[in-house]
Amino acid sequence: MGRLRRAAIRLAPLCFVLSLTTCIEDLTAPGDCPTFCPVGAITIIDTVLTGTVFGDSSYGRPDGYVDPDDAPGLLAVDEPSLSRDSRPIFRTTPLPTRVRVGIDTTTGLVTGVDSLRLSITLFNRDTATHDNLGLTLYRLPLTIDSSTTFADLAGQFSGPPVRTVNLDTLIARAANEDSLLRDPLTGDILVVGATSLTLRLRLDSAQVPLVPADSGRLAFGVRATATPEASVAVGAFESRGGGPVVVWYLKADSAGKTVHPLPQLRSTARPTGFDGFVFLPPPSPIGADLIVGGVPSVRTILRFNIPRAIRDSGRVILATLELIPTTPPVGVPADSFRVIAKSVVADFGAKSPLNESLTDTTIIRIVPVDTIRLNVTNIMISWGLSGALPTTLFLMQQPEGAVFPELRFHSSNDAPYRPRLHVTYAPRYPASIK
Amino acid sequence: MTRRIVFFVVALLAGAFPLAAQNSQFGIQTVGTPGRPESVRSRSLGGAFAAFDAASAIADVALTDVKRLTATAAGWSAIRSVNPVSGKEETLHESRFPLFTLAGPVGPFMVIGGGFSSYLDHSYDLLTHDSTLIRGAMVPYLDENISDGGVTDVRMSLAFKIGPRLAIGAGFHALTGSDRLKAIRIFDSLSVYAPVRDTNVVKHNGFGISASVRLDPFYGVSLVGFVRSDDKLNIKVNEAPRGATDLPLTVGAAVRLILKPGMRVAASVTRSNWSVVGTDSYDTMNWAVGTEFGGSGFALRLGVRGGQFPFGPGGSAPSELAASAGLGRTFAQGHGVLDIGVERLQRSGNGLDEGVWTLMTAFTVRQ
Repeated sequence: MGRLRRAAIRLAPLCFVLSLTTCIEDLTAPGDCPTFCPVGAITIIDTVLTGTVFGDSSYGRPDGYVDPDDAPGLLAVDEPSLSRDSRPIFRTTPLPTRVRVGIDTTTGLVTGVDSLRLSITLFNRDTATHDNLGLTLYRLPLTIDSSTTFADLAGQFSGPPVRTVNLDTLIARAANEDSLLRDPLTGDILVVGATSLTLRLRLDSAQVPLVPADSGRLAFGVRATATPEASVAVGAFESRGGGPVVVWYLKADSAGKTVHPLPQLRSTARPTGFDGFVFLPPPSPIGADLIVGGVPSVRTILRFNIPRAIRDSGRVILATLELIPTTPPVGVPADSFRVIAKSVVADFGAKSPLNESLTDTTIIRIVPVDTIRLNVTNIMISWGLSGALPTTLFLMQQPEGAVFPELRFHSSNDAPYRPRLHVTYAPRYPASIK
Repeated sequence: MTRRIVFFVVALLAGAFPLAAQNSQFGIQTVGTPGRPESVRSRSLGGAFAAFDAASAIADVALTDVKRLTATAAGWSAIRSVNPVSGKEETLHESRFPLFTLAGPVGPFMVIGGGFSSYLDHSYDLLTHDSTLIRGAMVPYLDENISDGGVTDVRMSLAFKIGPRLAIGAGFHALTGSDRLKAIRIFDSLSVYAPVRDTNVVKHNGFGISASVRLDPFYGVSLVGFVRSDDKLNIKVNEAPRGATDLPLTVGAAVRLILKPGMRVAASVTRSNWSVVGTDSYDTMNWAVGTEFGGSGFALRLGVRGGQFPFGPGGSAPSELAASAGLGRTFAQGHGVLDIGVERLQRSGNGLDEGVWTLMTAFTVRQ
């Protein structure tokens, strides 16, 4: 008994420590259902709500949410089959009359220009549907602005161009030269990026003379051509790549001697300049349809009457807004765009503040469809989580104001074709025991 | 006075711990797994001594052995292997603080006591892979069903010594607790289908009463009879009443023999009509035998118990058989007691076997 007692006393701390070290919680096990699983289970209901949309309207014509002068892309389109023609136009900022001519702060009067380099970025190039993409550069009057129309510039665009470039030829050569090409004949440079092209056109003083009366301001128009049709976008000031930039290689007077000051001056289309595009045909009015996108860009507001069984008790798994188009979106494959659904913080109609963190995005392809399906799952979930949010959303295009195709669909007034909400949800999980 | 403050602090701390019984997969579809309101000492003895143990909440009359203000808190950690017939074995871990008792004499013949113990535990975490049809496509998903909670028995008891050989006890039991039930479904195509997360809070309340009598006909022989009747367990789901579940009547008897100084033997038998709970519930008969060696400073304990578990599929109650052992050590001139124990339980039912290793620890502090 004595030995046993001593052994037990020695063992006791070990058992105590062991009991503490095993003090963990892990009850996770595969469910052996239905015998050893909870009685209730998550169920899924799939329903199409036909009369749920009300108070739907479109806003944005004639003044769009984004007009051509605010668009992130300047559309250069030549699509005869669609009678669509669009030409980017821009005006650069003025140059100073004096520039630094030495390493100190000494300045000299600008007396002329050796050459300049016009840099533009191109994206949304449809490589699959056209060949011989060419860009033609025209001088335009400095009076261009957001009110300038296609017809206003018809004379300038039918005049002699400043330069013409065959981009496809340059691209083919650049492919053999590690994505950066300098054309030895013209001095043009092409940089091929993953999703964009940057073209740096070299222009001499004969092509673009420095006019002191204009303070060095330049206005250009760009026309795209291709076989059979052209569709490309030129980067605007509002785009990530930036808008057109002119780099000046100037001549200046330094104590009676002509010098070539460094660094070169840059002038852009903003903030005091201008960039935009003029196009045909003119935008069609909204009419009785609902519209998303186009130029100028249109947004559509939709209000929903969500059944309480879904909004308050259901857990939304997938919600799809089904729209019946009146006419399909028209364009080339490169015109595919995104439609973004955004919920509103408060419903004030066309000027409702948008909730930027609650969005759903759907990519729209330029193909004929009988029903357009937009994902609105995140927004539906947020409406369920917060009973205070208005059940109103806006549909808008991305990029906004820089894509000609638009969604045009029936409103809730067209009973057979009104917007529908297809909701897949799980009702409240039933807590029950046998 | 200082010691009384310490007692109350210990009581509050113990009340803050999660109280729960040892879980079983057999209890998932029902109200839960019934708790064992036994002290580590009693459980190390198979439960046979529980009716004579003031730190256990089996028989109120056991409080008559309390001579000083005494508080006991118990905890255990369990490693449970679940072996379903149609699946592979899984090992689960859990830790609980299932028991706290506080008792002290009020006059020469009366003892008042109370405390907390686990009445039902309903904790599990189940993962299920399956697929479902959504808009014409089969979509795989993972379901996770989590329950965390149970029902606690809050006890107030009185025990009287009517004479040198007879004592009686009675108690009132308030049953209270809640389960947090979470259901989560995560689809494999997470970019398309939003996950489902739902939580229900199930609240329980009810009450019960207990009574017991102890007879010491001869020196070294003690007999206890006890009965406990629990009413209904009222259920609210997210604060909305959702009916009630009947709770069982439990009757039992125990005998203890002091064979010689330093050697005690006890046996008990208990019957509960758990079948009143509902479908796949059964009446149970449980028995226990245990022996304790040692005196006031040190004790060695051995026990074995068997019987039925009240819930399970297939029309028959799962069976249980357990063996246990433990040590008790008194410190500080009898003011402190450390009890440790280990139990091996084998539970077998239709479709499932469970094996549980349980390591138990308890502290007792006496005035």
